[in-house]
This record gives sequence, structure tokens and C-alpha cells, in this order.
Amino acid sequence: MARRNKKPSPVNEAGIRFVDYKDERFLSRFITENGKILPSRLSGVDARHQRQLALAIKKARYLALLPYTRSSKA
Amino acid sequence: MTAIMRPYEAVYIFDSALEDGVIAEKLAKHHGLLSLAEEATLDHWGRRQLAYQINKRDTGYYIVARFTTETTKLPEFERSLKLDDGVMRYLISLHEHELGAPPLTEEQLEAKRRADEAGDDDDDED
Repeated sequence: MARRNKKPSPVNEAGIRFVDYKDERFLSRFITENGKILPSRLSGVDARHQRQLALAIKKARYLALLPYTRSSKA
Repeated sequence: MTAIMRPYEAVYIFDSALEDGVIAEKLAKHHGLLSLAEEATLDHWGRRQLAYQINKRDTGYYIVARFTTETTKLPEFERSLKLDDGVMRYLISLHEHELGAPPLTEEQLEAKRRADEAGDDDDDED
């Protein structure tokens, strides 16, 4: 009853059909400061796009577009 | 048996110490193995900062290529990429989906930015 209206998924809002692993500026919105993948519970991304995001982030990490971790750096 | 053709997208990270001409030459050599019916669509990102060091280098020369080729050509192609010391990383993936947002023109981007700023406060009302 008092449940908040669900926020629209940020991925849908950006008009994205399929998440692109090369778009590191977009992907960087869904990782924490340390480089971890942000849980959808915090970002509000729907399940379908969260799966796409997770895969895209992992590909982007392999291509050194995103860090695996940032904790070792100052 | 008819060969199965599939669309692929490949990203290569070349050693940034190589000269542009050498990189283009290497790329042409590798793509030669694919015997492409159509020229691959190339997108040169150029030298970019890496998010972490690879082979003790901080920058890499990025090239994104799209091509359609027979599935049977890939193993040979990958082998040659693996053996090439100039290629620091590569990623070949099926290009089945239209990736990302449909490209916006500069004006649309600008309009969207303004709309985003103006519309920010309306969402949170209960």
C-alpha cells in the first residue's frame, strides 16, 4: 500500500535496446567506486537489463575499458 | 554443405608503441585470413588509456571491426591473432543485437541534456 511507485529502469530510460559493452561511460554508472557491479536493488535496473549489464561490464573489463578493481590505487 | 555465415564484432587492442602503418598492415593480414566477401567495417578509436596495465603498458590502440564470415574461418583467424605479439588483447563476439542506443545527432543530445536537467525534480513526488 505504502509501497513507493517503482522508478523506471535507468537502462530503458536511456533508450537502450541492448547494452553495449563498448560504451564504458554508460556502464560506469552501474559499478561502484571500487569497480564492483552495482546490484539492481540499488540501481533499479530491471532483471533483463541487469543480466545484459553484468555481461557487458565483464567484457568491458577484459578490454581494459573498465577496471576490475580500483581499491589498490590511491 | 553450405557454409554458415555469421556477423561478428571484434575489438583489438594493439600495442600502442607500434606505428599506425604497421598496425593497419597487421590488421589487413589477419583479416585476409577471413576471406571476407565484403570489406570489414572498421572503427579506429586510436590510442586510449587502459583501465589497468596490460603487458606493462598504460595505453593501447583500439580498433573495432564488424564483419560477416564463415564460422569455419574463425579458428585460423584467432590463432593468428594469438600469435601476434602486437595484439595485446582481442575480443570476438557475435553481433546479433543492435547494441546501445540508436545514435542521436548532436542537436538531439543537446536537447536531451536540457530536458534531463529540467525534468529531474518531477520524478520523486509520491
